[in-house]
Amino acid sequence: MKPVRVRPALLAGALVFLVLLVSACGSSDDETTSGDSAADEQLAFTLTDAGCDPVDAEAAAGPITFEVENASSNPDLHELEVLDGETVLGETPDVSEGDSGTFTLTLEQGKYTLLCPGGDGEPGTLTVSGELDTENSPEVEKSIETYRSYLEENTAELVSATEPFVAAVVAGDIAKAKSLYPAARIPYERIEPVAESFGSLDPKIDARENDVPTSEFEGFHRIEKALWEEEGLKGMAPVAEQLQADVEELAAKVKTVELQAVQIANGANELLGEVSASKITGEEERYSHIDLVDFEANVEGSEAAFEAVKPLLDASDNDLSGEIEADFKMVFNSLEPYRTDDGFVPYTELTKADTKKLAVAIDTLAEKLSLVPAAIASAEHE
Amino acid sequence: MPPSPEITRRRLLASASVGAAAVGFGGAGFLAGRESAEASGDGTGSVSFYGEHQAGIATAAQDRLHFAAFDLLTEDPAELRELMREWTVAAAEATAGEMVGNVNNVPLAPPEDTGETVGLLPSRLTVTFGFGPGLFEKPGLGLGGKRPAQLQPLPPLPADELNPAESGGDICVQACSDDPQVAFHAVRNLARIGRGTVAMRWSQLGFGRTASTSRSQDTPRNLMGMKDGTANIRAEDSEAMEGSVWVGNEGPDWMRGGSYLVSRRIRMLLEVWDRASLQDQERTIGRHKYSGAPLGGSEEFEPLPLDEERNGHPVIPIDAHVRLASAEENDGARILRRGYSFTDGVDESLGELEAGLFFISFQRNPEQFVAIQRRLGSMDALNEYIKHVGSALFAVPPGASPGGYVGEGLLS
Repeated sequence: MKPVRVRPALLAGALVFLVLLVSACGSSDDETTSGDSAADEQLAFTLTDAGCDPVDAEAAAGPITFEVENASSNPDLHELEVLDGETVLGETPDVSEGDSGTFTLTLEQGKYTLLCPGGDGEPGTLTVSGELDTENSPEVEKSIETYRSYLEENTAELVSATEPFVAAVVAGDIAKAKSLYPAARIPYERIEPVAESFGSLDPKIDARENDVPTSEFEGFHRIEKALWEEEGLKGMAPVAEQLQADVEELAAKVKTVELQAVQIANGANELLGEVSASKITGEEERYSHIDLVDFEANVEGSEAAFEAVKPLLDASDNDLSGEIEADFKMVFNSLEPYRTDDGFVPYTELTKADTKKLAVAIDTLAEKLSLVPAAIASAEHE
Repeated sequence: MPPSPEITRRRLLASASVGAAAVGFGGAGFLAGRESAEASGDGTGSVSFYGEHQAGIATAAQDRLHFAAFDLLTEDPAELRELMREWTVAAAEATAGEMVGNVNNVPLAPPEDTGETVGLLPSRLTVTFGFGPGLFEKPGLGLGGKRPAQLQPLPPLPADELNPAESGGDICVQACSDDPQVAFHAVRNLARIGRGTVAMRWSQLGFGRTASTSRSQDTPRNLMGMKDGTANIRAEDSEAMEGSVWVGNEGPDWMRGGSYLVSRRIRMLLEVWDRASLQDQERTIGRHKYSGAPLGGSEEFEPLPLDEERNGHPVIPIDAHVRLASAEENDGARILRRGYSFTDGVDESLGELEAGLFFISFQRNPEQFVAIQRRLGSMDALNEYIKHVGSALFAVPPGASPGGYVGEGLLS
């Protein structure tokens, strides 16, 4: 595995990233755009000793091409930058005297700063107005739909695995409920970041004891505590029934949730963050100690999210794509020694050496996966 | 390739109009940076990374340390080369006060530099790399034939109580700076760059230098309250540096101009020491506590009166630390010490401070250290008050040039 460094491919052209999420970009051969809104705005500037000329500019929201000619004799002047506050959104390549340079940005409505560093003049303002064309390219649509199917499969599995678990809890059958608990946890842990995006659903389903006030402690882990620590299901029937209602609500919401490619890629990263924060530490399943079951589910979910956006990544950076796939394999392999016939060894059996191996594997994969959102965004605009 | 929109530390400082005025960020670290900035030629406290020797050995000892030992996770020589290339570039960037990497201002991408030194001067940061004996034993790397004969793991030494988890390592990074945040940042960023190729094995933060490596420095005190490093080799002693510190023709080509680094985590039993009488303390070390003068002497830097007696007893006791460690009693063996005080909280089992000296020495041959430590370990009066709980040995290659990387002679 190569040490992780950002590849030059990410900096191709002069454009590095968007202000917006990648779904809001039109592709140049997309016939649904009517030509006028998709046509690039062209803004021309000259570098003079005073700085940018003109100082201020206006454009319509969407892709804007900045053409800059250097007519200055001042060697300190060699670029034009567009900033949003302090953040440089884009800049020309170094333009020497007499030469021109160009770059393109897709901007939404707002005021941005135009700066030609090295000149005497003040920075100027770029005023962008109008609505941004928010068509997804066909490739992005496909990624989103692929991931949505995965979400729906898993919420359906979540509902159907929670049902018998809930029935066992209501019937007071401790042994049966314990045996059905892991199967209900897996589909939830695969798609957890999406659940989190709905606000209160995640705490209701998945909160741990000290995350919420005692009176609000419900969901999977309240029942987990009853089963493994209290060894009694008294009073758990309403908690179980509420859990059923909550997972059904989640399944319904997922059908219509708005998804974006960069968000899906971020979700892949969040799932690995979950592993680092709570599965490797044994924090998630404090009573049942099935943290490795959740660990595998988180990584499966991360991989599924990654695979959904992989075609977008492959458009720009093949090396990264292959390395990430190899790293996923490596992470799954590192779990193998702990697998048993019906799941995994309990977390309490892991030594520090075990958890370190797993943590190193996750950190390796996660460091590379964290590069995907920016890589997808730049791929959309080559 | 167009330059990426990077914000260098210098650019931020410029935009905040540093000049002679203090700026809102950095606090103590910033002020420390300004002091060491004055100490360096170009006013930024920047020590050149490239050179004949790696920096951080003869460099005047800085105030803070972050030391880390790594295990190598791969046996692919190409991956190790790539690691050292990337580490060399990152170290050169950090020591020059630049942010590590190019992608630091892309909203959707994690910044390459972790950011905690933005606004801080490099404060004489040095980053020094070393290779442990284990590296040469990994078959896949094929480095066995280039192993220096001198690079043998340290033998068990008298009075050792070593914890394997805090000992050894395949690759080390020594980051020293007058600003603790700058030293911390260097190791942290290198560890991040190395993810997947190396894993951190153990690390040590050090505060307060316990050595002087330049005549311009005052002798500091260690946590026992004793001046430490009076008789140390100084960078200005070129004869001693060439004779005792830098590897010469006896080493393989790739090690010439390098050195060997020994690190020893020495726990001080401070609660016990603190109730020893002043006289006991002085006789244990062999120096007067406050002046640093040798017992029987009056000036810190006078030679040790090892042959003097009073009332039939040597003025410096035969088991005093400075006697047993002296070049005179070790056939002229000298080492360049460059250690730091440390504390790591409380030893829960005792309710006592977990603190002491993170000893670092550089020597042309590890045998110099071994010989001295054998005597100390078996006879030193100081042993009542200390325990060696961690140990490591690394071969520190010579310096690199721009475009090259540390260890290139070994790995290419």
